[in-house]
Amino acid sequence: MADVHTPRSTSAGTGATGSVTRGTAPEPPHGGPAQPPVPPAGWLRWGWRQLTSMRTALVLLFLLALGSVPGSVLPQQGSNPSGVQQYFTAHPALAPWLNRLGLFNVFAAPWFAAIYLLLFTSLVGCVVPRTFRLAGAARTPPPRAPRNLRRLPHSASYESALPPAAAIEAAAAVLGRQRFRLRRSGAGDPTSWVSAEKGYLREAGNLLFHLALLGVLVSIAVGGLFGYKANKLLVEGQGFSDTTAALDEFHPGRLVSGSDLAPFSLTLKSFSASYFTSGESRGQPSSFDAHITYSASPGAPSHPYDLRINRPLSVDSTKVYLLGHGYAPVFTVTDARGRVSYEQATPFIPANTGTMLSEGVVKDPNASLGFMGVFVPTAVMVGGTLESAFPAPDAPVVSLIGYSGNLGMNSGVPQSVYQLDTNGMTKIAGSPHLLLPGQTWRLPGGRGSITFTGYRQWVTLAITYDPGQVPALVCGMLALGGLLLSFMVRRRRVFVRAAASGAGSAVTVGGLARTDASGGFEDEFASLAAELATAGPAGGSAGGAAGRPAGGSAGEKLEPSNQSETGA
Amino acid sequence: MSVNQALAQVSGDFMIAALIVYSLAVLAFAGDFAFGRPRRAARPAAGNAAGTTAAGTLAAAAGDQAAELAAVGAAPAAAAAGAGMTADGAAGPDGAGGACGAAGAAGAAGNGAGGSGTVLPERRESALRAIWEAGPWVRAAVTLNAVGILAHVVAVVTRGLAVHRAPWGNMYEFVTALTCVAAIFFGYVMLRYRAWALGVFVMGAVVIALGLAETVIYTAAGPLVPALQSYWLSIHVTAMTLATGVFFVAAVLGIMYLAAERYRARVAAGKAQPGNGLIARIPSPAQLDKLTYRTVIFGFPVWTFGVIAGAIWADQAWGRYWGWDPVETWAFITWVVYAAYLHARATAGWRGRRAHYIQLLGFASLTFNMLVVQVFITGMHSYAGVG
Repeated sequence: MADVHTPRSTSAGTGATGSVTRGTAPEPPHGGPAQPPVPPAGWLRWGWRQLTSMRTALVLLFLLALGSVPGSVLPQQGSNPSGVQQYFTAHPALAPWLNRLGLFNVFAAPWFAAIYLLLFTSLVGCVVPRTFRLAGAARTPPPRAPRNLRRLPHSASYESALPPAAAIEAAAAVLGRQRFRLRRSGAGDPTSWVSAEKGYLREAGNLLFHLALLGVLVSIAVGGLFGYKANKLLVEGQGFSDTTAALDEFHPGRLVSGSDLAPFSLTLKSFSASYFTSGESRGQPSSFDAHITYSASPGAPSHPYDLRINRPLSVDSTKVYLLGHGYAPVFTVTDARGRVSYEQATPFIPANTGTMLSEGVVKDPNASLGFMGVFVPTAVMVGGTLESAFPAPDAPVVSLIGYSGNLGMNSGVPQSVYQLDTNGMTKIAGSPHLLLPGQTWRLPGGRGSITFTGYRQWVTLAITYDPGQVPALVCGMLALGGLLLSFMVRRRRVFVRAAASGAGSAVTVGGLARTDASGGFEDEFASLAAELATAGPAGGSAGGAAGRPAGGSAGEKLEPSNQSETGA
Repeated sequence: MSVNQALAQVSGDFMIAALIVYSLAVLAFAGDFAFGRPRRAARPAAGNAAGTTAAGTLAAAAGDQAAELAAVGAAPAAAAAGAGMTADGAAGPDGAGGACGAAGAAGAAGNGAGGSGTVLPERRESALRAIWEAGPWVRAAVTLNAVGILAHVVAVVTRGLAVHRAPWGNMYEFVTALTCVAAIFFGYVMLRYRAWALGVFVMGAVVIALGLAETVIYTAAGPLVPALQSYWLSIHVTAMTLATGVFFVAAVLGIMYLAAERYRARVAAGKAQPGNGLIARIPSPAQLDKLTYRTVIFGFPVWTFGVIAGAIWADQAWGRYWGWDPVETWAFITWVVYAAYLHARATAGWRGRRAHYIQLLGFASLTFNMLVVQVFITGMHSYAGVG
């Protein structure tokens, strides 16, 4: 890559970007004294040319691919924050350095943004001039026919009974019917010829592809600015309204405030999961159904909906998805005086998504009691260890370790509802203690009791709003359409010359595909040549536009060669 | 719905049958290499093969009809124009299409040189006729190949019927389906471009991939987890399977290109004898280059569509159309690398070997995604069902 600036003279058969002579930049002339050795405008023009050169684009494409790799190998803040935590714990020396390089949030890192912004700048610098050039080409007639058509990659000749001018008109009629753009020999030309060109859609498709990619980028940006994502955990029987206070997590876009949320409310009536009970996939889920009711705004009628994976709910262009599920055992705790101090379904988090063995904590500051628990949906004892044999709640059991003392919830330090701070607590004897539904553990020393009254299920919901979604899809489809055009359409020129020969004329046809990515011009040329050869006086009348058949004699004998093919 | 075990059994049997028949086809393709009819272009008669040895000898893959690979060689890139002009007695600049162009479609021009007369380009003879004339080995190989494809299609279809869904819900099914696509696509390439000289390589790779699928990652027919219960499975994974099968063929062609190009360079440097050995019998680097490119530009839009369809599905299932899940990231990397290949072919200094390395890098990232990321890196796409 020593010589960077190469005025590119890509001719035919080039790749996706076609023949690109990139970047003659319209640089505003700078006012300073133009020093002959290094004029600033020259510097700028040189820099712009470097940026918009195909080599730079190629290098940037590589960097883009390379830069994405750590995003898939290392845990990412956006998709896997707990993985990032674990990585910090596992690699305390390395992790801060990786973090400084933005490797835990690659796709939002400044250097990653720099790569794709440079790439898109390079793209714009390439595509815009090409658009003007295409527009110019579409207004310019095809070039004059070369003198010797036999020198072209494809050529053919035939004899016509018509005089040269009429033979050319007949050929022009055929080409015109095939929607070629035509240019005929003028009055001053000593010989008769017609030039034809077709396939401008190839370049148009190529440009469309690149511009649509730009559109995808803009759509993503719009979604990031005006959209939001939120999460909510709901236990069966609970409901919530879509307000920032009610949501567990709320990730607004830069230009979103809490008042922009859609004012719907939603209640989880029941949730059911079913699992395969036999075969290799035993224990794998076969269906999840969350039966919900929702109303689009306060006071609006409420509708039932069956929320499933792959079947989100759409309210006011906000979407609600079923993300996860789990068990929430219901506990009743009484304090030392026998009063009920805690009675609620407590969501436990699946520690093993295959067996749904779940972990959680019960915190009862009123009774100064805390419990770390394990919920086992289908309990089996394996060598003295409690395990879950199946994810469905066929034989639910909880195992509790009790603590008494200060839970530390008044210290002002925020706590996770899924963790118990046992620093100021003492472990209760007899732990761990197993409970079946309905059973009660009377804590030793008259500290109170805990009853496992049953369980409910919970779901996690994702609530998202992304105004860039539809534009991104449209741009994606446009990009695909442009890609197909640029690969399937070939830009080609066909020239026809006729010279007087006896009573009629000798006609030569030449063909040149300027771009022919998927091949096939030779076949097209063969058919076209055969058609031209047969389009004598008879053929002209069909075309209407140009044909003025001069004579009535059948021009050609010569069977079109495409019939010589025999299906052996 | 439960699995229809009888149909699943039928599918398994046909898959094994396809594997065996493909293996026989590969043997027949190899037999053509070893004992096949001598190729015309290898004879001195094909004069302008000089200096373009590879092109000359190989073009001949088509047997008597030198026109065969012409379809590839004579395609009208301006650079290859020389090939088409062999009629004027000039060999192409780099032998592109070299010997084979002459008798092909483009050659007609020269035949008419000097006279007015009527000379129209001839269309190529039918593929079946060309196969017939290429000799018993090619006949046998193509026939076996067709039978193998038939068995393979039956196996994939019955698997789908047995499990009541599109039969690419886990890694085993995905590999069997993509090899089916590769075999069919190669069948098309073979007929379209008379490219049976590539059979032993492409179908050999198919046999290896299918054999590994049967032995290493075999998964019995089973139902799908809820995340996969969507018609987008059919759309997204079908597109990805198609594209992977096509890129698979392109990768084999790319490797052959590198081998043929190395041989050509060695001959040009006087380090190797022209016209010898296995490599001399495969098509010329220029032809392989063009064929690879056409294969990639067939696969690239399909891949693009697959990614878009995947984004739509991800939006349905997970609430975002793009989330940089590891598999999404690698699909993106693969897309970018293939895009780089397409650009490299249009960039001075990057054509040829370098472009092919990029193309192979693209396939490497695709394979890495399929075999490593989906199986070992936890993400939302962990459906491989392996292990």
